[in-house]
Amino acid sequence: MPQFKIHHVTRYTYEVPVRDSANQIILFPVKDEFQTVLKQDLTITGEPAVDIYKDYYGNEVGSFMFADAHTELKIDSKIEVVTQPRPLPTDSVPKEEQWNSLQAIRSQVPFIDFLKQESCDVVDEIKRDTQVGQYLKVTPLTAAQKLNEYVYQEFQYIKGVTSVETTPDEIWKLKAGVCQDFAHILLVMLRMTGIPARYVSGYICPNHNGMRGEGATHAWVEAYIPNYGWLGLDPTNNCFVKDLHVRLAVGRSFSDCSPVKGTYKGTSNHSLEVGVSVSYEDGHVQDDHATVLTAQPNTNGLQKSDENSYRRYLEMIQQQQ
Amino acid sequence: MQATELLRNYYVDTNTWDEMYRDSSVREQYQRVVAFMQQLDLEELNKKEELAKRLFMSQGITFTVYSSGEGIEKIFPFDIIPRIITATEWDHIEKGIKQRLSALNLFLKDVYHNQFILKDGVVPIEMIYSCPHYLREMYNLPVPYDLYVHIAGIDLIRNNDGSFYILEDNLRTPSGVSYMLENREITKRIFPDLLPQNNVRSVIEYPNILHKNLVSLSPRQIANPTIVLLTPGIYNSAYFEHTTLARLMGVELVEGRDLVVDNHRVYMKTTFGLQQVDVIYRRVDDEFLDPLTFNPNSVLGVSGIMNAYRKGNVAIVNAVGNGVADDKAIYCYVPDMIRYYLNEEPILKNVPTYRLDNPEHREYVFNNITNMVVKKTNESGGYGMLMGNNTSDEEIREYCAAIKKDPRQFIAQPIISLSSAPCYMQGKLQPRRVDLRPYALCGPDGIEIVPGGLTRVALREGSLVVNSSQGGGSKDTWVLSA
Amino acid sequence: MLSRVADSLYWMSRYIERSDGILRMLKVNYMYSQDSVNEFSWKPVLRLFTYLEEPETKQLETNPRAILKFIVTDKSNPNAIVNIVTRARENARSVQDHITKELWQCLNDYYHTTKEDWLPKWLQKDDPITILDVLIKQGLLYYGTADITMSRGEGYSFMNIGKFLERAILSVDLLNVRFIDNKYDIDTVADAPYWKYLLLSIAGFELYLKTYRSGFDARNVVEQVVLNNHFPRSIIYSITRLQRYFDRLKQEGQVNNYQQLDFMIGKLLSKVRYSTAETIISQNLHQYLIDIKNDLYAIANAMNQCCFAYS
Repeated sequence: MPQFKIHHVTRYTYEVPVRDSANQIILFPVKDEFQTVLKQDLTITGEPAVDIYKDYYGNEVGSFMFADAHTELKIDSKIEVVTQPRPLPTDSVPKEEQWNSLQAIRSQVPFIDFLKQESCDVVDEIKRDTQVGQYLKVTPLTAAQKLNEYVYQEFQYIKGVTSVETTPDEIWKLKAGVCQDFAHILLVMLRMTGIPARYVSGYICPNHNGMRGEGATHAWVEAYIPNYGWLGLDPTNNCFVKDLHVRLAVGRSFSDCSPVKGTYKGTSNHSLEVGVSVSYEDGHVQDDHATVLTAQPNTNGLQKSDENSYRRYLEMIQQQQ
Repeated sequence: MQATELLRNYYVDTNTWDEMYRDSSVREQYQRVVAFMQQLDLEELNKKEELAKRLFMSQGITFTVYSSGEGIEKIFPFDIIPRIITATEWDHIEKGIKQRLSALNLFLKDVYHNQFILKDGVVPIEMIYSCPHYLREMYNLPVPYDLYVHIAGIDLIRNNDGSFYILEDNLRTPSGVSYMLENREITKRIFPDLLPQNNVRSVIEYPNILHKNLVSLSPRQIANPTIVLLTPGIYNSAYFEHTTLARLMGVELVEGRDLVVDNHRVYMKTTFGLQQVDVIYRRVDDEFLDPLTFNPNSVLGVSGIMNAYRKGNVAIVNAVGNGVADDKAIYCYVPDMIRYYLNEEPILKNVPTYRLDNPEHREYVFNNITNMVVKKTNESGGYGMLMGNNTSDEEIREYCAAIKKDPRQFIAQPIISLSSAPCYMQGKLQPRRVDLRPYALCGPDGIEIVPGGLTRVALREGSLVVNSSQGGGSKDTWVLSA
Repeated sequence: MLSRVADSLYWMSRYIERSDGILRMLKVNYMYSQDSVNEFSWKPVLRLFTYLEEPETKQLETNPRAILKFIVTDKSNPNAIVNIVTRARENARSVQDHITKELWQCLNDYYHTTKEDWLPKWLQKDDPITILDVLIKQGLLYYGTADITMSRGEGYSFMNIGKFLERAILSVDLLNVRFIDNKYDIDTVADAPYWKYLLLSIAGFELYLKTYRSGFDARNVVEQVVLNNHFPRSIIYSITRLQRYFDRLKQEGQVNNYQQLDFMIGKLLSKVRYSTAETIISQNLHQYLIDIKNDLYAIANAMNQCCFAYS
């Protein structure tokens, strides 16, 4: 039963004051039999009231506004969480039966959402290159594991070549990216074989084990395995998810789980820094002193509602029923 | 020359229901109007037509068409001859629309909550989950009085046997009601005294009923809740309508940039600071309503408004996510919804509709394409439509290729020969095809339909397309008292 | 009232006031150009009402018809009447529910008139004064309609603030254009026709004749245009009105944080009120006018901050 203290800081700074900021955060760990939240402290610039609700996928989502003029918005989340390892599926049921049961739930909620490919033009290419047929000849569990490994082997882990807006098509061409891209590609592959798959956002807490994804939020995938349920697969680290991952949210893709997003009004450019640090029971702190913030590319999170009059005009003339 | 000439060249296609003529005689409901016109000479009639145009122009009842960077003001063409509906016909229409809207409203509540109808397999889950207007953000979100459709514009057409069919349900931001109101005002000017002589029912109550319903939705129980009409702005082709409705109801006309959300409440920015808003009648589509939740590039919406909505701090009219119920593929299931929710038989029929994601239907449609009209499921206003009977083979081939690529996005219907009604053109009456859009208002006390509506008319001879974007015009629509 | 609505009403009336000012200037200058070919120059007009560079000005300068066309109907000229009226109407359109139907129709008619095909043709071939009069009359209809139909509420105050602010700026500019050249000698007698037409263009000629019976003297003109309380186009009159309508908003509690604006308007008014023609001219008229204009611009900016800060 590992216990982690996680400190996650998101900071936006603006050159000149902005106002009317509206924000959404998905920073509340899932609470279930494998994950217990002991404590969560959330501090936000201006101390706005945060309203928390459950979204369609069952995630806890917080919303808040900050209308006064401000030059900084800092969201500081400190959590203490205990995770339980979950035994892996036994995989004893014959594979045909397993595939048939996946076929049977295709059109059921919630699986229908987790089987639909989200605008991906290269599915056929992926099917060809991965020789999709071979995965249908093994059990869904083995198929999922092999595809997880395929992504780990064939894609390079490089920071900075992609952004939150990079599509699976682009990732497939790049054959590189970070955890979020690895997860997006694995989602496409699992879905093309008929295994329901969902995106997971959270933290990884490897304690000395040198896994990828530390110092920031992490992302991986859950595949639906018959007679078992949702099984976590981390393609960035080529492993099953046991008790070193802390789950924040699930969804069809990143956009359902975006940890922090917001809009504001103002002419200012913003810069965004994010840092995550984990401290362990044995006293080890991943980032020894304070949480280190790293600058993020500008496409991330906050959108400025600027005045593009052409776009505005197009939108205005379109609205008609 | 006397206007008896008027009717001389009125040729009705034998396979078409004509609103005025039957067996070469004038139907009873039209007799007074025809008689009135016959005692005028042509010059007087032309003058009246001229007066109508001038009234529209000087009152700014126009929409702006942009070409080569410059706005040109156009009037929505208006034909001076009213379209007349008898009390019996109206009674049937009214009952049918009320029944249909009751079912559609229950359907919206259901798909965003328990999903009984999906679990029972009456509407296939795939249909709903593949509809881009099914907004998961609306799931389990409570709306006041479980009302989703507050304002509906239901399009009706009439087949050659005279029976009415539902063509489309517009449940998002239906437009055109200002023309129903303005056309009537113009008729009062060009045909003085004719309305009372014919016992025409009044449409003037529309803004009052709408206002009463909007007030009833206010989350704050206060005497004067703040109600606003949210417009995309002056470049929107329905902007005139937005100002008209705001003026007639005495509510504030706002743009997205006038509003701000703070602490999960919506405020408007006034010269004296922020003022809380209770009810928003929005004419901005879902996609653009909240850049935080939906399209982040929208400049028309209000960031965070969905959070205020979820908390019940503001009412939004129509509800968000209604597009799932007026999707043209889901339209096929509305009769089943009526049976499922109300245990009744539909009073108004659907037009037979082929879903192109069904291989058998698709095959049939491709083989009979020249008798079909194919539409995109998520578009309205006559855009993206194919009329099989007057399209080149080349275009049909291209269109069919597009259908094969994404069949869920298309439906097909047999081309229905719309009924015709007399229009005053070049000094005589000529039959032109018409449809009918009555406007229904649903409030906590039930559904009210103002006796009237917008009759759209295809002004080109032989055309079956009535949309204003495709050269359509409109008529005043008279519903007679019993 | 919505900040955006207040903003639009304010700009609607600024634009109308500007169109009126420009049209009157054009009319009088055109007459002047028929009168005294030698002394007359279109330069001040071009300088005041267009953004043209020196070479373009040179090209146009000698062609009055082209100038009229450029300033009235040329859509490529952002300050052309046709564009100004369009902007006035766009502002009105977005606040249709806050002005009377009559006022909207009146502005709408004005707009349609500026778009008429015959307008540029007549300006080119016929008597241009007739055309200018048609347009000026549309503006007058607007003033009259606003006066007799608009309720005297908040919106009306914002409209008037816009109107008098614009008018004050126009009068400052008008006077100043002659003094941009610092070496200008105010005692040059040959300029009498210039001053006469200047007064004509702001409907101040008759008042001048009644006040001063001694021919055209630049000092007297300055006195009338800056300091005459009874002259509706004078700077002091405009600022007095501006203050009156601002006070009205203040009293009705319709503005927030008005202290700064209140102070700025009061200070400017005192400055003008306690000037005399003698002191203004001896201390450098040009600088005096520039200072006033800067103060007026500062007031306009403060209005933005205090009343229209919605974006």
